[in-house]
Amino acid sequence: MREELFVSGRNLPNIDPHLHAWHWPIPVYLFLGGLAAGLLFFASYYTILGKEKTMPTVVKWAPFIVPIALVVGLMALFYDLTNKLYFWRLYTTLRLESPMSWGAWVLMLVTPLSMVWVATYIKELIPSWDWKFPIIENTIEWFAKYRKVMAWILLPMSIILGIYTGILLSAFNARPLWNNSILGPLFLVSGLSTAAALIIWTSKDHAERLLFSKIDLVLIGIELFIIVHMMMGFMAGPSVQLEAAALLFGGAYTVVFWVFVVILGLLFPAALEIAELMGNKIPVAVPAIMVLMGGLIFRFVMVEAGQITRYLY
Amino acid sequence: MGPLIPNEIISPEWNHVFAVLIGIAFGIVMESSGFSSSRKIMGSFYGYDFTMIRVFMTAAITSLIGVLYMDYFGWIDRTELFVVPTYLGATITGGALMGLGFLAAGFCPGTSFLAAAIGKVDGMVFIGGAFLGILFFGEIFPLISDFYYANYLGHITVEESLGIAPDWFALIFAVIAVVVFYVLSIIRKSVEKVKY
Amino acid sequence: MNFLLEDRKTRIYWNPYFGGFLLGLIVIFSFYVSGRGIGASGGVKSAVVATVNAVAPSHAENSAYFSKFLKGDKSPLNTWLVFQMLGVIAGAFFSGAVNNRLKIRIQHSPKITAKTRLWFVLLGGFLFGGGSQLARGCTSGGALSGFAANSLGGLIIMISIFGSGYLFAYFFRKLWI
Repeated sequence: MREELFVSGRNLPNIDPHLHAWHWPIPVYLFLGGLAAGLLFFASYYTILGKEKTMPTVVKWAPFIVPIALVVGLMALFYDLTNKLYFWRLYTTLRLESPMSWGAWVLMLVTPLSMVWVATYIKELIPSWDWKFPIIENTIEWFAKYRKVMAWILLPMSIILGIYTGILLSAFNARPLWNNSILGPLFLVSGLSTAAALIIWTSKDHAERLLFSKIDLVLIGIELFIIVHMMMGFMAGPSVQLEAAALLFGGAYTVVFWVFVVILGLLFPAALEIAELMGNKIPVAVPAIMVLMGGLIFRFVMVEAGQITRYLY
Repeated sequence: MGPLIPNEIISPEWNHVFAVLIGIAFGIVMESSGFSSSRKIMGSFYGYDFTMIRVFMTAAITSLIGVLYMDYFGWIDRTELFVVPTYLGATITGGALMGLGFLAAGFCPGTSFLAAAIGKVDGMVFIGGAFLGILFFGEIFPLISDFYYANYLGHITVEESLGIAPDWFALIFAVIAVVVFYVLSIIRKSVEKVKY
Repeated sequence: MNFLLEDRKTRIYWNPYFGGFLLGLIVIFSFYVSGRGIGASGGVKSAVVATVNAVAPSHAENSAYFSKFLKGDKSPLNTWLVFQMLGVIAGAFFSGAVNNRLKIRIQHSPKITAKTRLWFVLLGGFLFGGGSQLARGCTSGGALSGFAANSLGGLIIMISIFGSGYLFAYFFRKLWI
């Protein structure tokens, strides 16, 4: 019997022709990471400006969501890993050219720091809170004195974290929908916008809500601008990029992208926020939830559609 | 050239995107015209507010004439439009049931969604009722399917069945509407205004 | 846009002719793009089919009526009318928001109680739901859009809904006046 052996570089199940590696935990993680980055950015920015008193939600209360979001997001990420026991190897190296390395180290720093941030404010939220051990109590008090320093560290870290959630995807040079340099800023702006929406939703202070309605409107505008330019970039690109963009223009992801991300996740809440700024009474939870849902669905679309696109034929 | 999507001038995937946009426009216009208020709608049946009949007839004439013009200019092919199939008995009976439902609730399915969207509990209950009604209909369907399919006249238009050319039909209907609007404007002056 | 309002002082609702004209244009646009008019009861029907299919899939498949609306793997909710109704809810919410009409309440005539109102609304919804399936369309999809397409069915639905409405209005007068 003659046996013939075919050796082909194309026999890559789950990678070729379509990537089947990333499932729902990835977009959830990217969403929560972006949200946490946005919340930390606003908290540290307004701390540096010295506005703790006038903007309590931004600086004190909304950051309580950050450690939860990061832990849940990292758990989702961990759940999606195939070789769970080897995750620590990310911390045996620091590679400036690898977004995963950047993300791993930034998360290593941001997660505990955000927990400390929250800990310094927990007594204001729950007056009867007791740390039980004096040593913890003293440490937290020591940290509370250096909030501005923490803010200066967190400000650049949060921007890196927000951009990294997009760069993580755009580093895949074999996936044309992801492989563009604008994805990082786009995910950062989207993360900031979802964070602003969450602040609007949770804030009880009228002035704070109005300010963040304006901030969110500007961010939504920038996000739409970047989306349009990303599309223009695809349209001016080679045929693989045209085919990637076609998924959103008449392809399988048209409805979910245009209906749930652009119309109901950006334009409609923006119209409601404008109406609110013009003096109409609007339950702020509605535009806020729509922006948050839009941000989550946007990451699902990008992760799922991106895995379908490819260079090789 | 039109309709655009059935003729694949625009890819069919866009159909649902346009559905949402059309729905948003529909919702804004209907709500702003007062269709989210059951009491305002029912004014047309009880003679204290004729908004519903005026909006409805204006919309009917506008769309009828508009579609005819679009056809005349060659922008839309009327023969490709969706025509409701006519099953005489079922259509008349169903319409009569809907008329009763209209009187009991003051909503039709479209307006109940408007009311529910701005927080009216009665609108939400109506949607629940419609849900149950459709469920009930589906469950008893085997018993009434003979009636449901009886007297089938096909996907026919007024033109084919009554022999009235569509332009004449539009003209007759427009004249009727103008007369109705005029009569309503006289009645309206003599009726006390009610606010809801 | 004050001149468009029916009552300039109270600024409550648009002039009905203006609203009706815009509504007509929307129907035309809908026909121009999608080849079909607007509708509402079809959206509720999709929700019913989806629910039955989720709760008792085999029952939905064996049902002579519901099985007509099951299309393979596609969700019964993935239809034109469901997306349109999603837009209607959003649009109505927006209009209610800019006119300060957003409020949780039960609207009823002062002569009846809220409880009576809700029972009759439920009954009315039930009749409308069943009737729209029998007539294959409701006021929006059957009467308004059907009329624009010049279909006989649309004309008959319109005449029978409003005919029965005016015919039996007397018996329901206590609910309204």
